[in-house]
Amino acid sequence: METFLAALFSGTSRGAIYALVALGLVIVWRGAGIVNFAQMGQAMFSTYIASTMITNGYSYWLGFIVAILVGAAMGALLDILVMRPLSNKKKTELLSSDSMRAAVPVIASLGILGVLQALAGIIWAAEERGFPAPYPQEGFTVANNVMPFTSFDVFVISIVLATLLATTLFFKKTGVGLAMRATALNAEVARLSGIRTNFTRSLSWGFSGAASSLAGLLITPTSNLSPNTLDLVLIIGFTAAVVGGLDSPAGSVIGGFLVGMVISFVSFYDTPEDVFLSILSVLLLVLIIRPRGIFGAKDARRV
Amino acid sequence: MLEVKDLVTSFGSVVALDGISFTAHESKITTVIGANGAGKSTLLRTISGLEHPSTGSITWRGKSVIGMRPEDIVRAGIAHVPEGHAVISELSVEENMSMGSLFRRRKFKSDVAAAQDEMYELFPRLKERRKQLAGTLSGGERQMLAISRALVSRPQLLLLDEPSLGLAPLVVEQIIDSINILCRSTGLTVLLVEQNANTALGVADHGVLLALGKVVADRPAAELKADANLRAAYLGY
Amino acid sequence: MRAVSKVKQHSIARKSLRRTLFFIVLILLAGSTFDAYNQAQLALVLILFIGVLSVTLLTGISGQLSLGQGALMAVGGYCMALLITNKGYSIWVAIPLAIVGAAIAGLLLGISAARLSGPYLAGTTLVIALAIPTLSNRFMSVLKGDEGLPVDVGYPPNWFTKLFGEPSYEQWQLYVALPFAAIALFFASNILLSRTGRMWRAIRDNETAASLSGVNFSRQKIFVFVVSATFAGLSGALYGLRGLVGPSVYPVSLSLTLLTAAVLGGIRSIFGAFIGTVIVVFLPDWIEAVLGSFELSEQVSNFMPALISSLLLILTVVINPAGVAGTHLHKHK
Repeated sequence: METFLAALFSGTSRGAIYALVALGLVIVWRGAGIVNFAQMGQAMFSTYIASTMITNGYSYWLGFIVAILVGAAMGALLDILVMRPLSNKKKTELLSSDSMRAAVPVIASLGILGVLQALAGIIWAAEERGFPAPYPQEGFTVANNVMPFTSFDVFVISIVLATLLATTLFFKKTGVGLAMRATALNAEVARLSGIRTNFTRSLSWGFSGAASSLAGLLITPTSNLSPNTLDLVLIIGFTAAVVGGLDSPAGSVIGGFLVGMVISFVSFYDTPEDVFLSILSVLLLVLIIRPRGIFGAKDARRV
Repeated sequence: MLEVKDLVTSFGSVVALDGISFTAHESKITTVIGANGAGKSTLLRTISGLEHPSTGSITWRGKSVIGMRPEDIVRAGIAHVPEGHAVISELSVEENMSMGSLFRRRKFKSDVAAAQDEMYELFPRLKERRKQLAGTLSGGERQMLAISRALVSRPQLLLLDEPSLGLAPLVVEQIIDSINILCRSTGLTVLLVEQNANTALGVADHGVLLALGKVVADRPAAELKADANLRAAYLGY
Repeated sequence: MRAVSKVKQHSIARKSLRRTLFFIVLILLAGSTFDAYNQAQLALVLILFIGVLSVTLLTGISGQLSLGQGALMAVGGYCMALLITNKGYSIWVAIPLAIVGAAIAGLLLGISAARLSGPYLAGTTLVIALAIPTLSNRFMSVLKGDEGLPVDVGYPPNWFTKLFGEPSYEQWQLYVALPFAAIALFFASNILLSRTGRMWRAIRDNETAASLSGVNFSRQKIFVFVVSATFAGLSGALYGLRGLVGPSVYPVSLSLTLLTAAVLGGIRSIFGAFIGTVIVVFLPDWIEAVLGSFELSEQVSNFMPALISSLLLILTVVINPAGVAGTHLHKHK
């Protein structure tokens, strides 16, 4: 019973973070038709910036906010410097086919990931370092029993839920949110409505950068920080997004929690070493049974 | 006044527009007719900046629009309703409509709501369904929504691409009538592309007949409608 | 008709043979002028070249982006190492069997990937690249976990030393890799020039049209995976012969290195695959030659090659997607 509760709680708090990562991937996928494999590289980079600020005496919260802003700026910048010039090249012979149009941005994002990881190695050295949590990571004590749930977990879950709520309201209630959704759904109609789609697309990249930086800040206290630590998180986030449906923001969030649970139960009841294999099994299972994901649109093939 | 001169647009080795010149006068309905593949849609898409011409000029009220991005051309007062009831099915009717006036919401805040109300007045069926997703609408309603989306941007020139496509005759009549009323009452300039030449020429002031990317006739609509030879040769009836 | 196509096939084979002979002569000439270190580097080029060809065929020619080629290399490496350590086979028997093993893995991968495309395929294969090496800990008793299985190229047989004299260890590495690389080149060239290559390009350029014109495209896609896996498996086996077959030898970054090499050189051409491999292998040396006088800290110089090659990768796709061999491309696209 105790193991079960521990797995459930850890699954919820990890799942919340994976939901954030998946949401970041889905928003860029919908907005630009690209799966951004550099996403957690960006998060790693901005978390390093926060870490440097905190070790130099600035407050945790200042580092926290700066990291999120840097994440947003980096996302938008990548779109402007790399992805937009790439999409303007669609007419060149190499990019003339659908399959290559889908492949080439992925290759570019891997290049960006490589650059960010190498830069982080050069600037901050490769050895792992810790990253602080703003709240204690000891379990609550109820009647002299230490529960497998910490105040940091409460913080993680509440900040993720608040972010998801704010995101939903932003997309549903504001003009900019409507413009971003319109751009994602049908760029031509959006342009003909006077929406500056280049701008809204960069906003999507910025939003995704901020969300994944937040995920990086929330996950590194329980692991460690090194140029490669977040690679695994990207893979898990990708799986979560595919499970929920790459086209569905709500689905990606649910996918995040689902995958978080799977991973948590596998590592509590089996062994953490099987986490990779369990992710792979979940991914293949979903892709074979329901390739568009649980909540994906039936005919949303954009590849 | 919209002036198109020697316009050439090609896709690879296929020349879709082969030196087109004509004028659409202010506050008039000009219709561009022709068979399938004559280049009608390409013409509108080139005017609204979706396609890039290789040579030629397009000027609206004396200013060239060539090289401008589609979103800026809309902001300059030229709204395009593309072929095929172009609405976003995953968004609600209301959202589709307000999309067209997003860029005006700061400068002309009070007018944005007024423009939408006018559209709901023009097409009352849309008002009933404002909360519904556009994907659940009938073909005619989608076309009305697409036109409304264009009109709430308060354009001076409206480019309409085959509004009758796939619609029942009665609905077509209703839509064409609304356009006609709008043009006469507000002084809107309309460039109407149609395959259904009879309907188009019935409402238009002026007609331009395209064939294989070239202008073969450019005359008052009534004259064009009466010319049995041209009709037989290019439109096949 | 049949006679004509036979003549054509002969001319394709002749063309591929000419290329291969030219390649062998080039490598032997270069190898004889290089010092021991660069001979080992050249052997590494030959080994990775085979792996890069697997990317060229899969991604460049048939348009399927896989980030899991390193996992297929691991399959080839492990198959070979198990046959050598457990069964005592010689490398000349173990390597062909390892290729078969990798082909079977490629078949399984192809069957599960046939319906995937674009980012779905890339992401799934990336997960595979991460998951496969963890199997070594799952099956500890056989695969020996993180320690891995030590193997090496061994020593040349007597007849070889009698004919050519005693080669150094580095030379022997080169001589072992060369025939395999030459065979891989010959086959890749044949595939590219033949009807099969045309069919794969048709799949890449337009799946719908290809299936309409009678290409059974999901079967062809699986076939591409199998062929590509044989190349990757061979490369992985030879890669392991450099000393160790273990999870640390086949990390995810290996898959990315192959992709980088293929893109830098020109993802649609064999010539590009070779150029790209040369760039990737020798880049650290070139960087050191340029920056050596600046006395950079170890921290900087360790990451410099990764930084430069990633930057080159981005610049290539944005500025010149056809890669170094781009001009070469026009002759037979």
